[in-house]
Amino acid sequence: MLWKIAWRNLWRHRGRTIIMTSAVALAYALMLVGMGLNDDGHRRMLEEAARAAGGQVLVHADEYWNTRASDLVIRDAAQVAGRVGAVDGVRAVMPRVLLTGLVSTAAGTRPALLQGIEPAAEAPLHDPAEDLVAGTFLTGDEDRPIVLGARLVEELGVGLGGRVVLTASDVDGEVTRALFHLTGVIRTGTRALDEILAYTTVEAAREAVSMDDKLTQIGVLAGDGHNPIELAGAIAAALDDLPQDLEVLPWQEAVPEMVGFTELDDAFGYVYMAVIFLVVLFSIANTFLMAVLERVRELGLLSALGLRGRRVAHLLLAETALMTVLAMGIGFAVGFAGHLAAAQWGISVAMWGLEEIEISGIDMADLVIYSEIRPFKWFMGSALVAVATIASSLYPAWRASRLAPAEAMRFFE
Amino acid sequence: MPNDAFAQGAAAGPGTAVADRPLIMVRGVTRVYRQGALEVHALRGVDLDIAGGEFCGLVGPSGSGKTTLLNVIGGLDHPTAGTVHVAGHAVTELDKGDAADFRLAHVGFIFQAYNLVPVLTAYENAEFTMLLRGVPAGERRRTVMPLLERVGLATEGNRKPHELSGGQQQRVAIVRALATRPDIVLADEPTANLDSETSSGLLDLMDELNRELGTTFLFSSHDPVVIERVRRLIRLRDGRVVEADAAG
Repeated sequence: MLWKIAWRNLWRHRGRTIIMTSAVALAYALMLVGMGLNDDGHRRMLEEAARAAGGQVLVHADEYWNTRASDLVIRDAAQVAGRVGAVDGVRAVMPRVLLTGLVSTAAGTRPALLQGIEPAAEAPLHDPAEDLVAGTFLTGDEDRPIVLGARLVEELGVGLGGRVVLTASDVDGEVTRALFHLTGVIRTGTRALDEILAYTTVEAAREAVSMDDKLTQIGVLAGDGHNPIELAGAIAAALDDLPQDLEVLPWQEAVPEMVGFTELDDAFGYVYMAVIFLVVLFSIANTFLMAVLERVRELGLLSALGLRGRRVAHLLLAETALMTVLAMGIGFAVGFAGHLAAAQWGISVAMWGLEEIEISGIDMADLVIYSEIRPFKWFMGSALVAVATIASSLYPAWRASRLAPAEAMRFFE
Repeated sequence: MPNDAFAQGAAAGPGTAVADRPLIMVRGVTRVYRQGALEVHALRGVDLDIAGGEFCGLVGPSGSGKTTLLNVIGGLDHPTAGTVHVAGHAVTELDKGDAADFRLAHVGFIFQAYNLVPVLTAYENAEFTMLLRGVPAGERRRTVMPLLERVGLATEGNRKPHELSGGQQQRVAIVRALATRPDIVLADEPTANLDSETSSGLLDLMDELNRELGTTFLFSSHDPVVIERVRRLIRLRDGRVVEADAAG
């Protein structure tokens, strides 16, 4: 009977109930969609960060990542790569020679970051050939090939087949020069990268700086379900007995700014949602308090007829609970529809006018955020909303339970 | 669920007094309301006995303490001093929760106005106290329907209070008050908002029910129609009983 009374009481002020229910439903739906977008967005940002870092785990000579010194190289790279590849959970191994130096043509000289890569090995992480706008991308048939960023090409005034001279330090710290032929032009979409990025093969890069069997970096992709941090530990253990000092970094350590950004963004997201819900919850508390004041006489009647104070409180809580169930039902339907739409079509970062957005130097302009459900997080979020909404009526319910029936019955006399 | 002790007491049926004691025994009851620095003495040492099955009225001018005395007897209010026993229960000793159980088990209330739960139909209002006592639906229907018929509202059971006239609402309240077969029905100005014809009809009804069921009725009123119809008059003035016919 209490539930029946509670349900009917809800609809005594239809407009007020609709507004309150809509407010909770909307806030809940926004929370669900927001969580979905946030989770997917962060996952993609972190993937992007891992990709930009060169893999989920990076192996270098000790201290290379901090100093980028040309003499810090992985010796006997084939053996190291072999051991890394044999570790359980490693999906792909990407050997690289990373060189910073100058590229010159007859028209000018520009700084460049040259990556000597094995295109086939890089494909599982990111295929740079996708950015190719002219020529070929390290097919293996070219002689001393080099692929440059589009803006770098413009600034150097060089055409396909043209000669490009790289000046860089070799492993002994000696400045050396090497001749390349421009075989391809890429456009990454990020101005800064297009001004500096250059690719060649591992062999050509090694030859340019006399690295023989050495590498600067071994990028590692983790298999599905393998945690990069745990995998980094396993790789470090596998390399531990080698007669050289190596550093093994999970990408979170290699690009800590991105991890910090997503954590900060999460924290802001929670604060934002908390503010929205506080406003909604205080509105509910206020409305139910008003409802108690409006119904003092009626609540007094129930008490006079033999309803104990706590059952009077239950009545008020039942009204909130019903409203919460209704609001969350509607909110879930709206939120889930929003999630499905976002999961299907995605939201492009560029659509929001953020064509040149970078976070921690990582290009995010091409990012399309979809929605991703994490059932446990949704469940916890929903439970929090339910508990908080019902909690908002605790004080009004307590007030109702404390009404003295004789005084309450006199209330409007 | 109400306190079992009260429910068992109620099961003894209306008008049941413990041994030879009156059904209602009021001793030295005073009630002082404080409004800031001001003290209002609503009751000043009231002594009163009412036997089971009586049909009596508390009369007196406004502010004489009629409603306060009814509230104290019904466990709706706590006296400042004195004791009240109803059906052997020391009402003045009960805490809020037990007082609610006591009311549910022993007392039927009819108020002047706002008597019904607005969102419930006439039938649901009538069965409300039975439902609170956990009476099964079938038994509720078997009890309430004849009473609704008795008050001429058998066909109005699905109407909400706002769809009923004042007299009809009071009749529903009477059915609700009687449905649990309480020891006493406390009626506070039950005819105050009704025309004299309707009032008279209601009093006829309560008189008949009192005679048929043996339920004790205690009215507070200054309505001449009520004063004429009750079989015992208790006059209050300035919070004191100034005249009372002998009990029972």
